[in-house]
Amino acid sequence: MIFLTRFRLVLPVVLAAFLGVQAAQAAPRDDLLAPVCAGGFGDQMAALQSIARYGVEGGGGDAVWALRVVEAFDGRALRCGPEAAFIETGDGLHSAATLEPVAAERAGALSSPSVNLKLRAVSASAAGLLTLMTAPDPAARAAALGVVAKRREAVTADLLERIAAAEADPNLKQAVSELHASLLLNDPDPQNRIQAIRAIGQSASQRNLSLLTQAAAAEKDPQVAAEAKSVIAGIERTLAAGKLMSALYSGMSYASILFLAALGLAVIFGLMGVINLAQGELIMIGAYSTWLVQEGLRAAAPGLLDYYLILAIPVSFAASAAVGIAMEALIIRRLYTRPLMTLLATWAISLLLINTVRVVFGSQNLEFHQPGYVSGGVQVLGDFIMTLNRLFAIGIAVVAFVAVLWLLRRTMFGLNIRAVTQNREMAGAAGIDTRRIDWMTFGLGSGLAGLAGLALSPLYNVNPNMGANFIVDSFMVVVLGGVGSLLGAVLAALGIGQINVVIEPVYGAVAAKVLVLLLIIGFIQWRPEGLFAPKGRR
Amino acid sequence: MKRRDFLTAASGAAIAASASSLPLPGLIRRAHAAGSGNTVKIGCLFSASGTMANIEGRLNYVTKMAADEINAAGGVLGKMIEPVITDPGSDWPLYAQLGKQLIQQEEVAATFGCWTSVSRKSVLPVVEQNDALLYYPLHFEGEENSKNVVYLNSPPSSSVLPAVEYLMSEEGGGAKRFFMLGSDYVWPRTINQQLKGYFKSKGIEESAWREEYVPLGFSNFQTLINQIRDFADQPGGQPIVVLTVVGNSIPDFFREFINQGISAFDVPVLGLDAVEADLEGLDTAPLVGHLNCWAYLQNAPGAKNQEFLAAWAKYVDDNDVPFSADTVIDPMVSTYDGVHLWAMAAEKAGSFDVPEVRAAFDGLSFDCPSGYNITMTGENNYVKRGVFIGSVNEAQGFDVLWQSEDTPDPLPFSPYMQG
Repeated sequence: MIFLTRFRLVLPVVLAAFLGVQAAQAAPRDDLLAPVCAGGFGDQMAALQSIARYGVEGGGGDAVWALRVVEAFDGRALRCGPEAAFIETGDGLHSAATLEPVAAERAGALSSPSVNLKLRAVSASAAGLLTLMTAPDPAARAAALGVVAKRREAVTADLLERIAAAEADPNLKQAVSELHASLLLNDPDPQNRIQAIRAIGQSASQRNLSLLTQAAAAEKDPQVAAEAKSVIAGIERTLAAGKLMSALYSGMSYASILFLAALGLAVIFGLMGVINLAQGELIMIGAYSTWLVQEGLRAAAPGLLDYYLILAIPVSFAASAAVGIAMEALIIRRLYTRPLMTLLATWAISLLLINTVRVVFGSQNLEFHQPGYVSGGVQVLGDFIMTLNRLFAIGIAVVAFVAVLWLLRRTMFGLNIRAVTQNREMAGAAGIDTRRIDWMTFGLGSGLAGLAGLALSPLYNVNPNMGANFIVDSFMVVVLGGVGSLLGAVLAALGIGQINVVIEPVYGAVAAKVLVLLLIIGFIQWRPEGLFAPKGRR
Repeated sequence: MKRRDFLTAASGAAIAASASSLPLPGLIRRAHAAGSGNTVKIGCLFSASGTMANIEGRLNYVTKMAADEINAAGGVLGKMIEPVITDPGSDWPLYAQLGKQLIQQEEVAATFGCWTSVSRKSVLPVVEQNDALLYYPLHFEGEENSKNVVYLNSPPSSSVLPAVEYLMSEEGGGAKRFFMLGSDYVWPRTINQQLKGYFKSKGIEESAWREEYVPLGFSNFQTLINQIRDFADQPGGQPIVVLTVVGNSIPDFFREFINQGISAFDVPVLGLDAVEADLEGLDTAPLVGHLNCWAYLQNAPGAKNQEFLAAWAKYVDDNDVPFSADTVIDPMVSTYDGVHLWAMAAEKAGSFDVPEVRAAFDGLSFDCPSGYNITMTGENNYVKRGVFIGSVNEAQGFDVLWQSEDTPDPLPFSPYMQG
């Protein structure tokens, strides 16, 4: 009995104490939240910054709370009621001040605070700072540091100093301290300024160059100015090297696209002499089969979805090859002696394929899942970013080139192709089944176009009309390289790609296109057989 | 010559007959309309192939949908609307040729057509010579006021300039420097010319902007994105990109933009021709925050919009339209408005004759799915529309970031055009 009475007495006391703590916490938090909901744009910005400061200075539970709020704001999950703010999650409303669940009917009419770009930039850097304080995983903290470093101007030095002090991982601690040092560019102490200049000089970018150039112009201390000058010179050298690499990479990437589009044609037009105007549509079919593989995986094996680009390689090759072989067997083989008719017939086939695909799939752009290995890029040197989707295309181009070269030079099939190309009657007399070689070669050329479709799908829009973009360029490459020469096609693609990249920044993209075409006309006038003279039946 | 005279007389008689049938009770009129030959043709001049097909092709279907809607309510002047579809194949001169065919052979009462300004400019002489009517559903560069064209969408004064003004405001991010990138034809060049005039009037230095053009259908944006990054990292304040590339170049641009790791926080892109349909096939998460401006956005609030979205979804389903059922873009709504505005004008004029229909424009008003009541005046052939600024969201659409309070007066000729 006594027991129970005591219990009855204790319970309210504990409860009151507990509620009291909660109330004490909630009061400053409510004050912090109020301007996010009620304030104008400037007040909202200041409020987000004070929430971040509150979290970093308080640490622990305060930091966790602040991160939740900032993330809710950024994700547009913050709701403003008439009296308090709430966070909407999958399982209902939570009070923004205490993070406790709240019954929806008690919240009143809710509205969302407006979130514009400036506010999102601020909330992103605030979330970065708070993640640095709270995330248990060092990798997550390192990623957050990247976000903060990108928006250095929105961060105050004293907060970073606190974070550096709290950081356990020695590497990260070093990185945070460096970021902190770089913020002291306007510090009264010249030593700190030199530290800041050196820290900024660590990463060479146009942005940092602008920052240092401004600082150097305003610098009074000769020692600091000299330091700034030498760091600026270093950055400029790195940037120049990065620019050069970037230009080379752009040229390579454009060349790989041209080459991929032209490779199949180099076999069909180059070796067989068939003017195939449906080549672009074979590329399109390759891209569509890639998409079908992706959709199939999405339905059957979602775990493998990321590898669809690899798994689709044989499928896209086979699909386009099958269409090509059907074209050859049904129509083109009857027209080998009439090139003009082939031209018309293949054009008709291209229209047929475009419209069939349009009827079946519709004409919108297809959506491709972008796995990690074809999205984003790697910062290599200075401002040069190596974009992965282009690297993928370059890789496929190199592999395809080597494979085709090996096939033509080192296999029986290749020997037969070359024999038929050079002298059909003689090859036939030597016992080669020329008919079989014809359709197999055509299939090879078509399949390569399908492969191009696969490689280009992370780069281009895939729709029924995509083939038209490639057909002129691929003929250009094959003719310039010398009909029948694979190596010529490679050099032609590289040449056109590189020249384009050199001209484009100077005269603009329109002029670049015109100038490149003029150069090609000039070159063909001077050397009608292309870069490499063909040997064979023509 | 004789044949044409006969046809004119015949069609005049038919119109007179239909006009006289107006006061008859509804039942008879409907029975009448069901009779063969009792139709009025309207022309559709939108590309279903070529670089514009993906977006322009949708407009054919929305015209049919609007016509069906009007037909279901009894038609126009007792006649059923019969849309005649053509495919100019994104080939600008072909627009003129097919437009001529529509007007002279099919004898359409009105033509709905064109996306790019270059195609409109190509049909313009044809409609002017034949005194026909072209309803043009795109926002465009202005500087044109033909009595034969109904400009359903906004000129720059009530689309681009409010958007740029917003971006230059403190709330919009305080843009200070501008990279103008466009496809090389009349629309981007005129827009950029006006923008430059506008910047000058605001006292912005010439060094604060760059202007670049790419050929139509261009897709290799590597070098240009490098240039944009370089431009953005120069000192001088917040940079933005004013993007006036069209067609399939838009997703290609954004893809490269994402891959080079530029976010909307760093360099927001105001895509003047970017519509919901351009985001199909892109992972929009890294694009969140980029902007566009139109007279309609799919997320426009209001019951009228919900009705329109449902109607389109049903139309796509029922008719196996090869486009997405849940993507609606401004030019679709503008075309839809156009068909209704034309039907209202004809009804009001009591005739399908172009001069009479034109005379009936003054005072027309229609409840647009955008939520605004759009109106026409006798002053010019422009339609008064509202203005929306949209921002890309995670769901391949645009959130409404800002919208005008009412419908500003369209200004066909910009004061910012300079010699």
